[in-house]
Amino acid sequence: MFPDPKPLTAFAFTDHENRAFDLSRLKGKWSFLFFGYTHCPDICPTTLAILARAHESIVKSAVGAKDVQFVFISVDPNRDTASKLGQYVSYFDTSFLGVTGDNAQLGNLAGQLGAAYEVAITPGVENYPVYHTAAVFLVDPRARYHAVFAPPLDAEEIGRRFEVLRQLDGPKAT
Amino acid sequence: MRWRHPVFAGLISALTALAAATEDAGITVRDAWVRETPPGMAMTAGYMVLQNKTSRPQVLVAARSSGFETVTIHRTVAKEGMTGMEHSPQIELLPNASLPFAPGGYHLMLLNPKRTLHAGDRVEITLEFRGGLVLPVAYEVRK
Repeated sequence: MFPDPKPLTAFAFTDHENRAFDLSRLKGKWSFLFFGYTHCPDICPTTLAILARAHESIVKSAVGAKDVQFVFISVDPNRDTASKLGQYVSYFDTSFLGVTGDNAQLGNLAGQLGAAYEVAITPGVENYPVYHTAAVFLVDPRARYHAVFAPPLDAEEIGRRFEVLRQLDGPKAT
Repeated sequence: MRWRHPVFAGLISALTALAAATEDAGITVRDAWVRETPPGMAMTAGYMVLQNKTSRPQVLVAARSSGFETVTIHRTVAKEGMTGMEHSPQIELLPNASLPFAPGGYHLMLLNPKRTLHAGDRVEITLEFRGGLVLPVAYEVRK
């Protein structure tokens, strides 16, 4: 959690339903952002499964999850098409969004969040290595970078910490 | 001497090999599971706890399965604030110690499953250790 949340600036992605996903889509909701790629057998499915459980616990909380969204940002637009992303994120939680953009836009938002990633595209290599931060970023309903959850992640802890952050942020006119 | 007869000599060496294998069988595997494949995905990972109950180091050198196109030993590693995967050509198990293959660490990277894997299915993967021990292990598919 940051004492002075940092307002994010414009970026342009596309979601798994081919709709524009830009700064306006972060407004009015708490957004959990996770960078990854679908050709990732270990850390991405592990994290998405944890986030699905965190989502469940927020759904069951007093305030609920109506003002919460989970966004999987693929840093591998070369392989992750909209339909592939949709299939992938829905497997973990049907409410999850999958988004991606071109390298400039990915670098833009990743840079604003301090989220490091590296895609080592190698000609002729089908399963090229991708490195990405395993942290989960929380953006508040005013589209400000509010907090980061560093690995190792725990669903219950994310849920609990989020409830505290949401309360501290004050009651919202809903 | 009758014991010098080639058949007996062969039998003795076979028994010696069997004894070695029995000691090698001091490698056990528990909690072996494979993550169910999300739809459209051609890769997943396998996990387990390897236990070396022998008094010597044991080295896992390969894994194979008829259920996948390739099986590779991988490790998720941290690099400059990022997480990525690295191929681990061999993994040493210390004497009388266990080594977990768990999310975020060592795992078997399973590429192109021959059939869609659903939770509850079983898939066999054979682990190969230095010295020739092969250990077929049944992995449970879990979501």
